[in-house]
Amino acid sequence: MKRLASLAGDLNKCVKCGTCRSICPTFRVIGRESAAARGKLSLIRAYINGDMGLGDDYLRHIKECTMCGGCRDSCPAGVDTVRIINAARAEHVEKEGVSFAASFMMKNLLDYKGVMPRALRYVSKFRGLLFKDSPTENGLVSRFSLPVIGCGRLVPELAGTFFLDTAEAKTLDAAPDINEAKVAFYSGCGVNFLMPDVGLKSIKALEKSGPVLVPGAQVCCGMPAYYSGDVETAKKLAIKNIKVFESYDLDYIITSCATCSHALKNVFKDIIAETGDKALMERAGKFAAKVRDITEFLPIKSPSALTEGQDENQSAGGKKTVVTYHDPCHLNRNQGIRDAPRDLIKSRTDLEFKEMRFPCSCCGLGGGLAMNNYELSVKITERKADSIRDSEADIVATACPGCIVQLRDGLHKYGVKAKVVHVVDLL
Amino acid sequence: MITEKVKKQLTSIVGKANATFTAEDLICYAYDATNKSYRPEGVLFAGTASEVSEILKLANVEGFFVVPRGAGTGFTGGSLPVKGGIVLSLERMTKVLDIDRENLTATVEPGVIPWELGQALAPLGLFYPPDPTSYKFSTIGGNIAENAGGPSAVKYGVTRDYILSLEVVLPRGEIIRTGTKTMKGVVGYDLTRLLVGSEGTLGVVTEATLRLLPLPESKKTLLAVFPGLMAAAGTVADITGAGIIPATLEIMDPASVKCATEFTGSTLAEDSALLLIEVDGTAESVEKDSESIKKIAFDGGASEVRSAFEKKEVKDLWKTRRAMSAALFRLKPNKINEDVVVPRSRIADLIKGIREITDRSGLLIVSFGHAGDGNIHVNIMYDKNDANESEAAEKAVAEVFELTLGLGGTISGEHGVGTSKAKYIGMELSSETLCLMKGIKKVFDPQGILNPGKIFPSHEEEGYERAGVVR
Repeated sequence: MKRLASLAGDLNKCVKCGTCRSICPTFRVIGRESAAARGKLSLIRAYINGDMGLGDDYLRHIKECTMCGGCRDSCPAGVDTVRIINAARAEHVEKEGVSFAASFMMKNLLDYKGVMPRALRYVSKFRGLLFKDSPTENGLVSRFSLPVIGCGRLVPELAGTFFLDTAEAKTLDAAPDINEAKVAFYSGCGVNFLMPDVGLKSIKALEKSGPVLVPGAQVCCGMPAYYSGDVETAKKLAIKNIKVFESYDLDYIITSCATCSHALKNVFKDIIAETGDKALMERAGKFAAKVRDITEFLPIKSPSALTEGQDENQSAGGKKTVVTYHDPCHLNRNQGIRDAPRDLIKSRTDLEFKEMRFPCSCCGLGGGLAMNNYELSVKITERKADSIRDSEADIVATACPGCIVQLRDGLHKYGVKAKVVHVVDLL
Repeated sequence: MITEKVKKQLTSIVGKANATFTAEDLICYAYDATNKSYRPEGVLFAGTASEVSEILKLANVEGFFVVPRGAGTGFTGGSLPVKGGIVLSLERMTKVLDIDRENLTATVEPGVIPWELGQALAPLGLFYPPDPTSYKFSTIGGNIAENAGGPSAVKYGVTRDYILSLEVVLPRGEIIRTGTKTMKGVVGYDLTRLLVGSEGTLGVVTEATLRLLPLPESKKTLLAVFPGLMAAAGTVADITGAGIIPATLEIMDPASVKCATEFTGSTLAEDSALLLIEVDGTAESVEKDSESIKKIAFDGGASEVRSAFEKKEVKDLWKTRRAMSAALFRLKPNKINEDVVVPRSRIADLIKGIREITDRSGLLIVSFGHAGDGNIHVNIMYDKNDANESEAAEKAVAEVFELTLGLGGTISGEHGVGTSKAKYIGMELSSETLCLMKGIKKVFDPQGILNPGKIFPSHEEEGYERAGVVR
């Protein structure tokens, strides 16, 4: 209760004006007060005051949130609902523990040298039993209604070779000029397990301004654990990552995942501040100061990555390929990075950039929602799919593997033809 | 108390998915933007007029209260279940039923959000002018119940000026239609105007036909910075006096400017008072009007008039203005928010009087609002845990009302009376007028089941309740 109780003052700042109803992606789908921030805050307040237990309805409401931060950013009273909801989830874990399955997954999957990743490599060989290849999309479509996954859902294919196992990444870890590298690459689970290409392209772009290092001992950023309320696991992963990277003399730590850059920059510091360990907090601060999302780093540090080798072949009809951009909440709302990824796209003069409507509305994946309540999560994606369809874009670029997974599934479901890529795929 | 039997009956009317009696939902439907909480005994999400009708009929038979609710964003407690009973939410009724481009009307269900309607109308070159500050999250049904107004009232008027016809469920369950879908219509009493602004005490609106206007061709925003509030207030009347009616004409005093700049990180000079002016019309008229306004503002003592705004700056400024009411809580934990109106020519007198009250009370009083239509939001900030401040705040409210009425104004321009202003209603309305209003309420709702405890002062309402509902 300590964590939650310490936020009671912040919680009481909510004056219930209702502004959060205008921005919440979950509320837009559910349409009930308990989905909007002021409703959730009222429930959490009731819990703190002892008027409410950890009942099923209460838990459902605090889990029905993508943690996009829209309510926090638009709140006139300045209430940080994301932080409060996360504390409420942590309170639940503290009281009732993490489910065995979740705990097993978090502890094993998230360490890239652990048991699960190895097991996953074998699982991927038998995927045909459960999934069929999508003829048009990048991924697999589930054949039956699978637990957690459901039927007809487009799930990303597990990479044949995980990013950190690729020859390129391994070479960089053992490179002779390792001590000269001032830039390190952090892959994160999305890039490592699902999109190693994004990692390889990122490194290629980064190498134009100097050697890049890929520490093989890095682990998951911990956000899946953090958002499920398992702050302890998230803390362990944060500390491990800090240790791995501080053993090198680095200027920058770069990642191509918006969620990871948010975690490394902001959440690590928050989690570690809870320990009250001054020395550790200082290390976390130093670590965080070096973290850059690749979209903000490239335009400043590696401008040559943008124009070099650009293909000027415009299609025969003269019509340029249209690209639109989806703002990942963790990049836009949590790091304020909006222009940089757009500038990267616009640097491709052979493409036409077109803004979609509501580019910063949430894709629906975040905050563990896609795991807890897939149906709700993909309903949130519908608005995004509509925006993308209306934009008539051929390509949707974004900067977060999580968003890419959700958008590919959503566009498949709602019959939108656009291809979903990472911004670095366009460089 | 609502019995299990009644709960079952209510559930069968709206369907299981649309009736809830769980503690979680009751907590979430207990409040509105007054930040007061009264837990209802159940929440129903009606989908049609006939469902509303059946609920109200049952309420008369079983003797329970029904409180209609839109988005729960009112400032005077209109949707609070102060005496318990059922909250009847209309937020599920969100269809735009018809947009008639030839007759310039739209027919909507009550749960439609004004901003969403605007999104549907803009591609057709049309708009629905009423723009309460909550236009992105309040509902048109709630706007009708409260007769909401907004910044554009100075030129375009308020909700009631755009309501042609209503489908209303009366408290005893009859479904009626008021008004006509035509521009003119004088057959019988004007029940539409009576129902608009009746704060959910006379009926439940289940459909509304709205009047639309063509979108103006051009729009421009000006920001005039004044070294003090009096100069800004004086300029308001100068602008309208010169025959120019801006689309909006907002005033912000130095305290609200300070609060706003903190919220958006904008670069406005902190100690200044502002006029935020929007002119619309044809490209030529907009140019001409903004030139005239600039001149009037400088003549009135403006230190700076910005006009060539970046789009983002205009957006930020409006975001600030719209967030102001809630952002003030950053200054003090509690606030009494009054929305008094005086004739435009008396705004300077009102501002001067408020300053005197501020000095006398020793409180922080923040003023901003729709100066163009004489509507000023007077926010008396205090800490309710401080007995002296609470007492001073109460006293200041009465003084602001006396001042307003003395200047020929009214104590509420757009928020309504609800529970917050009930005790002051006698300051503005004579006992004869109040008696007539209560009589009207009784004709509509003889058993007093619909939205009890609103508008009329409580002891009278209690007496009325004793004579009515058998509980």
